[in-house]
Amino acid sequence: MIKLVPLPRRSPLHRRLDGLGAEWSFQGDAEVARHFGDPEGERTAAGRLALVDLSALPRGGYKGPAAIGWLAGLGALIGPEHNRAYPQADGSLIAKLAPTEAFILGPADGPADLLAAWEGAWNAEAADGAWPMPRRDSHCWFFLAGEAAPAMFAKLCAVDLRERAFPLHAVAQTSVARTNAILVSGEIGGHRGAHLLADSASADYLFGVFLDAMDEFDGRPAGLAAIGALG
Amino acid sequence: MSGTRLAAPFGSLIDRTRPLHFRFGARTLSGFAGDSAASALVGAGISVLSRSFKYHRPRGLFSMTAADANSLIAAGAEPNAFAEHVPLTEGASFRGQNYAGSLERDRFALMGLFGRFLPPGFYYRAFYRPAGAWKFWEPKIRAFAGLGTVDTNGPHGYFDKAYGWCEVAVVGAGPAGLAAALAAAEDGAEVILIDRNPVIGGSMRQRRGGVGAEPLERNGKAGTIHVMTGAHCLGLYDDNWLAVGQGKRLHKIRAGRVVVATGAEEQPLVFRNNDRPGIMTADTVSRLIRLYGVLPGRRAVVVTANDQGYGVALDLVEAGAVVAAIADLRLAPDDGPFRREARAAGIELLDGWTAYEGHGRARLGVVTLAGVTGRGRVDDSRRRVDCDLLAVSVAQVPRLHLLCHRGMRPVHDGSGHSFASGELPEGVGLAGAAAGRYSLDAATRDGLAVGAAARQAVAGGAAPEPERPAPDGALFNHPWPIFPHPRGKEFVDLDEDLTIADIRNTIAEGWRHAELVKRFSTVGMGPSQGRHSALATQRLIAEATGQTLDAVGATTWRPPALPEKFGLLAGRGFEPVRRTAMHDRHVEAGAVLMPAGLWLRPAHYGGSGDAAGAIAREAANVRGNVGLIDVSTLGKLEIRGADAAAFLERVYTFAYAKQPVGKSRYVLMTDRLGIIVDDGVACRMADNHFYVTATTGGVDGVYREMLRLNAEWRMRVDIANVTAAWAAINLAGPNSRRVLERVADGLDLSPAGFPYLAVREGHVAGIPCRLLRVGFVGELGYEIHCPSGLGETLWDALVEAGREEGIAPFGVEAQRLLRLEKGHIIVGQDTDGTTNPLEADMAWAIARKKDFFVGKHAIGLRSRAGLTRKLVGFRLPAGESRVPKECHLVIRDGQVAGRVTSAARSASLGHVIGLAYVPAEHAAPGVPFDIRVDQGAMLRAEVVPLPFYDPDNERQDS
Amino acid sequence: MKLMHCPLNGPRNISEFQYGGVVKTMPDPVAGSDDAWRDYIVYEPNVAGPVLEWWCHLPTSYWFIAERDTVSDRIIRTMPAAEMFGATPAAGDET
Repeated sequence: MIKLVPLPRRSPLHRRLDGLGAEWSFQGDAEVARHFGDPEGERTAAGRLALVDLSALPRGGYKGPAAIGWLAGLGALIGPEHNRAYPQADGSLIAKLAPTEAFILGPADGPADLLAAWEGAWNAEAADGAWPMPRRDSHCWFFLAGEAAPAMFAKLCAVDLRERAFPLHAVAQTSVARTNAILVSGEIGGHRGAHLLADSASADYLFGVFLDAMDEFDGRPAGLAAIGALG
Repeated sequence: MSGTRLAAPFGSLIDRTRPLHFRFGARTLSGFAGDSAASALVGAGISVLSRSFKYHRPRGLFSMTAADANSLIAAGAEPNAFAEHVPLTEGASFRGQNYAGSLERDRFALMGLFGRFLPPGFYYRAFYRPAGAWKFWEPKIRAFAGLGTVDTNGPHGYFDKAYGWCEVAVVGAGPAGLAAALAAAEDGAEVILIDRNPVIGGSMRQRRGGVGAEPLERNGKAGTIHVMTGAHCLGLYDDNWLAVGQGKRLHKIRAGRVVVATGAEEQPLVFRNNDRPGIMTADTVSRLIRLYGVLPGRRAVVVTANDQGYGVALDLVEAGAVVAAIADLRLAPDDGPFRREARAAGIELLDGWTAYEGHGRARLGVVTLAGVTGRGRVDDSRRRVDCDLLAVSVAQVPRLHLLCHRGMRPVHDGSGHSFASGELPEGVGLAGAAAGRYSLDAATRDGLAVGAAARQAVAGGAAPEPERPAPDGALFNHPWPIFPHPRGKEFVDLDEDLTIADIRNTIAEGWRHAELVKRFSTVGMGPSQGRHSALATQRLIAEATGQTLDAVGATTWRPPALPEKFGLLAGRGFEPVRRTAMHDRHVEAGAVLMPAGLWLRPAHYGGSGDAAGAIAREAANVRGNVGLIDVSTLGKLEIRGADAAAFLERVYTFAYAKQPVGKSRYVLMTDRLGIIVDDGVACRMADNHFYVTATTGGVDGVYREMLRLNAEWRMRVDIANVTAAWAAINLAGPNSRRVLERVADGLDLSPAGFPYLAVREGHVAGIPCRLLRVGFVGELGYEIHCPSGLGETLWDALVEAGREEGIAPFGVEAQRLLRLEKGHIIVGQDTDGTTNPLEADMAWAIARKKDFFVGKHAIGLRSRAGLTRKLVGFRLPAGESRVPKECHLVIRDGQVAGRVTSAARSASLGHVIGLAYVPAEHAAPGVPFDIRVDQGAMLRAEVVPLPFYDPDNERQDS
Repeated sequence: MKLMHCPLNGPRNISEFQYGGVVKTMPDPVAGSDDAWRDYIVYEPNVAGPVLEWWCHLPTSYWFIAERDTVSDRIIRTMPAAEMFGATPAAGDET
């Protein structure tokens, strides 16, 4: 199995965000947009509607009949229900997609220690039936924060994402703007919102779709600092 | 007449402090904020809004419920807008429709003189023979009989769609709908209340004695009711899915329960010239007066069959009009409260009288009344009454369209007065006038009962049958408001210009069912969808054929319930586009991009100027030097688990059980019918781990089918689609090894250390990679896969490493040419929906010793039946410059005998080469055949053995 | 828009699903006759009434079995494939 060496990791949207005036900084090996020149405005937007690209940050996953058991054996906290997300001690989030599959989101605001530890612990013999999944490359990762996020999603997605139907840590695997997506109800720096994980090759398409759909709510792209994920 | 605007308290919707100016045709008029185009036009004295469909008769406002074509206008660039649904805005521009010259003096109005020559079915008979005649006549007829015209230069609008969710959706916010919404929301259930009017309240707001504000105020307190006004419920679909158009957005709402409280449609009285402008439903009169402060006439006659009509007469008097008479169709009417009041007010009451003929050219001036003797019959007594307004209140028909969308078939209400709902669809309630409870009191109580039942149903409790008030239609609906006249022109259908005689002629042709009468006569096919005509038509059929009304049957209503804008249907379209990690590099290099499935791929580089030259240069650089191509769009699957090899044995035609680790092998997938569906390469990464590629367009289907098969087979294998996770580059050409050596950290790239078909894992430029020695283009080459997030880094590293050699990227077009020279097929281009591996000359890829693989038995059956065609390589003579195109036909003895699937001029070989299907018996090398190309020219081709290039594989194996 | 109950993801619009054909039993690879194979490959039973069908929830590529009445188009029930084909663990199946 290939082990990644720490080359700097960028979002598939790097150039597009750069064009919007992103100011960059590193979080671990990930080059992330700190803000877009207007930290105060972005913080305000984060309460209303803000789109934060987390695609450069670490994530991972394990799949197969032994996947959940193997992770639990290493100390991961995973409950019995699937289509639920389970928060971990280091701030990462395990979205249990099925009884046989876990999608792991690294913390937005710190080192992904658990992801690294599990990756280090994996080998084909010890983890038969628990196969690693290249989630950092297969999926792009957005966080849509703010109270208007459910109304915006209502234009793109047939699943009800309002609080009463989609409480914290609920997971929905569905279609968003005709692209398969995993939605995870989450929280970053006290900002409620929805994580959206989708085909990394469609990141640019989805970004455009979001900008268009956010317009009527005065939503805008925001850097990680806007949701308190960077100092 | 000039328009009359009333003072407050009339006109509850308008704001007199905000006058607005607008245009109607060439005239500049004014109205108020809150007006609709309809109220503003009538208020400004406009009585003719449009011309009728067939005879071009003048038509004015008849209903304000989007129930007929009379009020269709062009609003700005939007044709066919219901004037009552168009809010008035400053500077708005409206036009009448369907006329030539001017609305007042329409040149086409002469059509009316030829009415007796235009019987139903006329078009079918007159214009469809001889064959082709319709093509000639259609545009001419459409110019006469059309609706509005589309302005193709009109401004673009941003239309979009949104999903919505609720526990109970109530359609219609009149007394019943409001009550139902309140009752449904009582325990906090989430309710959406949908109404097409600008305000809720429905008839309560305009009907005399109906303005009960109490439910409106209570509604303000119910926080869980989401009110949508100006919202048209266009359809009700399976599992309570509602389509609701509101402005430029189409809402798609999923409701746990639906309460339909859409009210009832006031019906016309069928008599001679009943379409004259100035004749309108009583409800329309009330709306104009109460909601918009518009008095639609100065001297009115009311024809009625219920007490409500007397109420409208009182409204008119209160608003300052003279009511010359109230004709009541009933011979001995009950004395209701409004009738008593009207008598006390000194209005002349004519019991047992009907309107019998309207007079006046562009507008009603006189109405002839006649004494009623029985069903549809009158005696000789006549009264001519001067009037510019005739208000009609004789019957109502429940609006059951939405229920019909879900499969309900309307029945007759038993009393013989109107339609009623058949069995209700699951999860749907019906309340108020739509359920035959017309009076305010009955409708409100009905709404409460049905709303409460909906609440109980969503709460999951066992709902008892709600206690509902009795239907009261007999008090409102006259059983036969149809009065034929010897000189005809009694319109049953205003939209389609159909009279009693037209319906009777249709019946005389032998059509006896409502659906068939509709199809032949077109009754109910206009924008009104039979809202005004269905019941009258049914009655005429029943009368003429001696059938019961239920035997005649009702026509059904299909979505949309109201005409729907195409913009709402088109909405905000979503068309995903996938980009590879190296996309920006391609753009920078001047790539001309082409779609490949959802992906964008470079067809070739260097801009669109000289495509052929660019392709030739890119190909030559691969043959003679080194090139690189982005093949990230290739499908990529991880097949892992104890049964991985056994699984591949079952899904692919070849053998994999003994494939060594570190080697790749071709994979060919057939379906159950033995037809080729995909191909690729399987790399054995470990005993229990294969990394498998699939075609760009095929991988999603391959992945899904693998999962389906294993859902059945239950083998110990995990299948993962990792296409987007891996970028991939094919580095190809005689110099590729030298280039790779500069960046391949510590990998042994020697022919012995990394031979053809071997697979290695290692680092290239510090990036963890999987390297495959495969040869799609037929040269020494390496397919290098790396995490997609580092794809651009890898691309840059290889371009840098090959700078000295003059490495250059090549696109899909050059790759197609190169692989053709090598004789490799492309699934989907060189195969079609019936190609099996034997036809494609790929028997070598079938492991015959296996007991099973998907398609094995079908291939066996086909093989025994004998092959009819074969895919062969061909070449044209060296001097031939014309290149056949895909799907040019192979001709043998004057007959079609096959087709070309790929063809190109090969610079390496010096002549045109290609692949084609030819008859199996003529597939041997050396056999000549003809290809018919553009302009019918015939080219002589010759079957040649494959591959065309490097037949001994010395180059790719080197 | 119909709703379908996915055993993995719950009720969803039917546009999230793809039909995968009627559930058929494959003849024995070795002992199956040509006629049995021909029937299996080519003929569709085309039953009017309740049938068992393959359906796939596309966003998760999850296959399951639905019992559907082809006359009324009513979906009678849905179940994981494991209920019909046994419980050898395969990804996503053990719901």
